[in-house]
Amino acid sequence: MKDLVKIGGKLAVICAVAAAVLGVMNAITEPQIEHIKQVRLEKALKQVSKGMNIGEQKAVPEDDVVDAYYPLYEGTDQGVPNGYILRMIGSGYGGDMVILASFETDGEVLSVQLMENSETPGLGKEAEKQSYMKKFTGTGDQEPIPVRKDMLSQEQSDAVTGATITFVGIAKALVEGSDFVNELEDK
Amino acid sequence: MFKEFTKGLIRENPVFVLALGLCPALGVSTRVVNALGMGAGVLFVLLGSNIFVSLLKNYIPEKVRIPSYIVIIASFVTIVEMVMQAYLPDLYNSLGVFVSLIVVNCIILGRAEGFANRNTLGASILDAVGMAIGFTFALLLISFVREVLGFGTITLFAMGNFDGVIEIPVLVDSPARVFALAAGALLVTGYLIAGFRWAQDKAGGGK
Repeated sequence: MKDLVKIGGKLAVICAVAAAVLGVMNAITEPQIEHIKQVRLEKALKQVSKGMNIGEQKAVPEDDVVDAYYPLYEGTDQGVPNGYILRMIGSGYGGDMVILASFETDGEVLSVQLMENSETPGLGKEAEKQSYMKKFTGTGDQEPIPVRKDMLSQEQSDAVTGATITFVGIAKALVEGSDFVNELEDK
Repeated sequence: MFKEFTKGLIRENPVFVLALGLCPALGVSTRVVNALGMGAGVLFVLLGSNIFVSLLKNYIPEKVRIPSYIVIIASFVTIVEMVMQAYLPDLYNSLGVFVSLIVVNCIILGRAEGFANRNTLGASILDAVGMAIGFTFALLLISFVREVLGFGTITLFAMGNFDGVIEIPVLVDSPARVFALAAGALLVTGYLIAGFRWAQDKAGGGK
């Protein structure tokens, strides 16, 4: 019994020291990591905004998929939005994926960008490329957003082969996003 | 003493001879720059864990040594992860999950259990550096072959006007893509291990 306490105690000391060191390291690196995330977000927002002005972020706590949205304005006048950027959480092969997408007010997809994700390099990670998202642009209003492989052209479906879960995850999030935009009232 | 350092390079090369750490070796060796980044990460973690395991070898109780080693190793890996995320975000993104997987990289636990816990601090440091350089060397070799054949490029760090990518004429237009995929990784590594054994046999008189 005494032996057990001694062994357990020693292990606890090692763990405590390790935890303290990591706490200090976290305090040092966290601001820098936050900063990098912020820069990356701003860059992505700018890219999907299609040159429109980005309004203030509004959080959407009650929605499972849409996490927050930003209204888009064509001019400097912040009256009726001309579109929206949505920050959405989709589920991919490696867990949650953050997707940033801009929509017309009628729910048509303008531009999509995959943000933080844990998809497989070489397969699902390919979705980070701009060319990957082309298959979604222009859909959502007249044309439905492709959510299954058979809704894609041959060439497009080749590009998602081996990473179907990533594709479906993004597509489903976009469908939710498109519906969300259609239900927004302030347009 | 010095042989503790040199043994990791060739004679006991972790990847080619001990066949340790093959998972990350195959996983990240698609680009030369990843090999360098992974090598640096492993060097830091291995050095840290070997130093602490060697220093604490009389303090750590025999019965809980493996959990203790894992705590030490995981702490160093987390430090590497945080520092990479903060200061080398591009490298962090391309290495992805393999950084956290250094925790279960058997080279590191293997050296803690097989060497550092029964050797002096000095020998453990030399062993760590030698093993890490041997690992990096192996990774560089694999990734060099894979990237040249699979992408037709050699990716290094971007510096000034140089964007870090050397393109190899002809190959860049029609690369043998299979080398960039898992099958190519196994193929290349297999041939390199075979080549290594052959060269060793020849040099050591087939012992």
